Amino acid sequence: MIEVRDLVKHYRGGDGGIVRAVDGVSLAVEAGEMVGLLGANGAGTTTTLRVLATLLRPTAGTALVAGCDSSADPVGVRRRLGYVSATTGVPDRLTPREILTSFGRLHGLAETALTDRVGQLIGQLGLASCADRPAGRLSSGQRQRVSVGRALVHDPPALVLDEPTSALDVIGSRDLLDLLTTLRAEGRAILLSTHRLHEIEHRCDRFVVIHGGRVVAAGTRAELVRDGGELEDAFFAAVAGAGAP
Amino acid sequence: MMAAPGGRFTAALAIARRDLVEFVRDRRTLFVTLLLPMVTYPIVALSSALGLRTAVSDLEAKAATSTLAVAVSGAEAQPFVVRMRAVAETPPTAGPAAADWPATLEIEALQDGVAAGALLTGVADVWVEAGAGTLAALDGDGTATVSARLSPSRDADPGAERHWEALVRAVSADALRRRAAAAGLPDGFLEPLRVTIVDAPGTVVATASIGPTLAASVLVLLAVLTLTGAFYPAIDAIAGEKERGTIETLLMAPCSTGQIVLGKFLAVFVVTLATLAANVLSIALTASAAVRMLPAGMSMALADLGGGSLVTLVAFIGLAALAAATCLAVTTASKSGKEAQNTLTPVILLVSALAGTAMLPGLRGNPWLSLVPFAGQIVVSRAALVGPDADGGAALPVVAMLGLTLLSALTLTWILLKGTAAMLTDEDILFRGPDAAPRGLARPARRKVPSVAQGAIPVVAGLALVWYAQGIGPDDMLLAIPVHQAVAVVLPLIAMLWWQRVDPTTTLGLTAPRGRVRLVTSLLGAALVGAGLFVVSAAVMLALQGTEVSPAIRSLSQRLVGLIREYPWWVSAGLMALLPAVAEELLYRGWTLAAFAGESPSRPRAAAAVVAQAVLFAVAHLLPERFPATLALGLAAGIVRIATGSILPAIVLHAVHNAMPLVLVALAGGGLADGDLGELAIGTATRLPPAVLAGAGLSIAIGAALIAAAVVGRRPTAAAEPPGTR
Repeated sequence: MIEVRDLVKHYRGGDGGIVRAVDGVSLAVEAGEMVGLLGANGAGTTTTLRVLATLLRPTAGTALVAGCDSSADPVGVRRRLGYVSATTGVPDRLTPREILTSFGRLHGLAETALTDRVGQLIGQLGLASCADRPAGRLSSGQRQRVSVGRALVHDPPALVLDEPTSALDVIGSRDLLDLLTTLRAEGRAILLSTHRLHEIEHRCDRFVVIHGGRVVAAGTRAELVRDGGELEDAFFAAVAGAGAP
Repeated sequence: MMAAPGGRFTAALAIARRDLVEFVRDRRTLFVTLLLPMVTYPIVALSSALGLRTAVSDLEAKAATSTLAVAVSGAEAQPFVVRMRAVAETPPTAGPAAADWPATLEIEALQDGVAAGALLTGVADVWVEAGAGTLAALDGDGTATVSARLSPSRDADPGAERHWEALVRAVSADALRRRAAAAGLPDGFLEPLRVTIVDAPGTVVATASIGPTLAASVLVLLAVLTLTGAFYPAIDAIAGEKERGTIETLLMAPCSTGQIVLGKFLAVFVVTLATLAANVLSIALTASAAVRMLPAGMSMALADLGGGSLVTLVAFIGLAALAAATCLAVTTASKSGKEAQNTLTPVILLVSALAGTAMLPGLRGNPWLSLVPFAGQIVVSRAALVGPDADGGAALPVVAMLGLTLLSALTLTWILLKGTAAMLTDEDILFRGPDAAPRGLARPARRKVPSVAQGAIPVVAGLALVWYAQGIGPDDMLLAIPVHQAVAVVLPLIAMLWWQRVDPTTTLGLTAPRGRVRLVTSLLGAALVGAGLFVVSAAVMLALQGTEVSPAIRSLSQRLVGLIREYPWWVSAGLMALLPAVAEELLYRGWTLAAFAGESPSRPRAAAAVVAQAVLFAVAHLLPERFPATLALGLAAGIVRIATGSILPAIVLHAVHNAMPLVLVALAGGGLADGDLGELAIGTATRLPPAVLAGAGLSIAIGAALIAAAVVGRRPTAAAEPPGTR
């Protein structure tokens, strides 16, 4: 469902030099699978997800979502992908219902179907109590759930989330990850990045570790973690083994 | 649930709808849109009315407090004072004497020295010496002679002389009546005819209208406030999305960036239109109330209020569109609302100054100002409301001017929206972090070609230098041309090349077309286009403006003719053709075009870049009358630069274009102003022979064909890839 092949993304740095943000990354996420993309700041995770989301053009390689190429058919990708970025916010002056409705309209949903879909999402995301309150007065957890709802309004088969729990407390994080687990069970392919490895250690099916723009380790938890350790130990081992970027 | 593809404008309308809801929930936007206009015009009207009233009452008070102090000395000072006081008891009630009669009259008999002192210190306005026999002569049948001196130091009432003369006329009239009575003549003897002026039936009392004066000021205020209406929505529309972190999800919408920008524009445009409507409503209500506040005898009448208002409304709808697109384009590159405000504020000030040019005498009557954004709408509206201008003949009907200003506004709006859409696909702009923000005077990062903003910097810097150096620059063209080129073009260009550290070969196009045949063909083609363009431009200028030229153009022509006459041909050719061609092509078709087009632009962006640099090139010549000709030269040279990838053909085109006066002089046999070619050479031609015009057209056609042939199958090298090749 989600496939990245030999992805390369270079851009011009502040000093005029070339920054190799992503340098040959390949990964795949099947339908009904949740994959964790792990990497330190500057490793290339956000750039990889942005290329998948058609926000950046790849320097080389391909990024596919449900068979659509992010470069050749960006609109096709956007119809099939829900994306929650690390910097995602919500408009303070609109209510969750208005935000979801407006994005449904952008995706061309008919008004009747849209009303039903928005109502369904509000219930599923636990936003019923604040659905008609301006988003500026919502808690961080509620706002993040609105962001996820916005990414789901067109019912995409694939979901990409960049550090979705970074601004949430323990309860908010667990609620969101529970929701993602449910979405995976519905058959969606989910790719998410995070720095809070313990949160996803037992939830993701597989993990991909990126360092210096390259994949330095990939596999299930069992394949990566040895001798009763934790995912964090495996992450440090993979990064240390790759050396300085 | 797979979403159904929406129609072409579905996404744009959805974005516009969402943004509008956000805008109307923003108090700042509501304040600027509705409250500001509703408050501004009444305040302006009240202050204006108060000012007028104060001015009128000051005049009335001045008239009411006018005084005349007369010091009388001499042998018959006392009886003469008594006579004048007696006359003053019954002041004249009609005619000039009544108008000039002082409100307060003081007449005193004084000693000579005291009277002189009173006059010198300003205590007395007039010192009169009434010698012996004055009263006898006055009451007899002779002529009484008195001497009078006006105070040299009086500063209060400049009407003292008129008041004194009115008093003299009254004393004379009184003496005449006394003489007639003594002679037994009836009262009517001294007034054989008395005429009383009465109003005819239906007569309208004439009033002074301040409408035309007010109209220009109010139109400028209307333009500025309409522009202000776009301020906050535009900041909120894209920079606000970035600040809130919602831009990425918006860009994930299944539509093109063009549709996103269109949606944003529609939302900002609607708010701007609402601002315009609130302003117009406020003006109408304020005007109806303000009429009652005017002093008696004043009105706000306009030549054509109905038709003028309609024209104003249509013209300002175009201005609202342009304002929305301008604010949106300016704020798109900003990453936060604060940065957008910092960027947009000086632009608003500059645009307001541009609007203000429509009030300048000498400019406001020029119908071609209709094409200038933000000033054109005011010029058109003023012409429609006030009628033909006294200081400039409106050569175009108002409807044509309205068409021009709408065409200009819509074209610019379209270009700005295309530019905004292009910026939204620029990854540097979208994901620029705080580290990439410019740091004070630190040198920017090395680039292959300049950024868009840097494209205009040397042009603006050059104009500023020319402005400040104009007072100390040489007058002799032999020095004036090189100094001007150095200050306006070469120095700013060299400074920017050093500062930005761009790749000079790519930026300036310092490469020749590959192969000898391609080189010769493209240079020959460029020369033919340049030659033909000069003649065709002259014909267009003649058609547009006739043979009347401004003093600035006439002075420039005379100085250039002087140069041609005084110096050998190669000196004139070097200064008039070669030097400007090399310097200006390197700046405009090199630096500026490369900056606007970017490193590897699409065809539409390359076309927009050619147009933008040509407009800048034409504006920088600071000769409004020559704008069409310089614009055409900029466009032609820009197209040639893009097509050939080299600056050389553009230089040749420009040089031949500028050398045409010399060529025409040579063809005319050296006699300036003798024959059509000579007149054409020095810009005094009143007609163009059809054969010359046909030849020019043929020259352009052959030249274009040669250039096209030279660029067929061109393979640009990686190092010197010109803009517009991808």
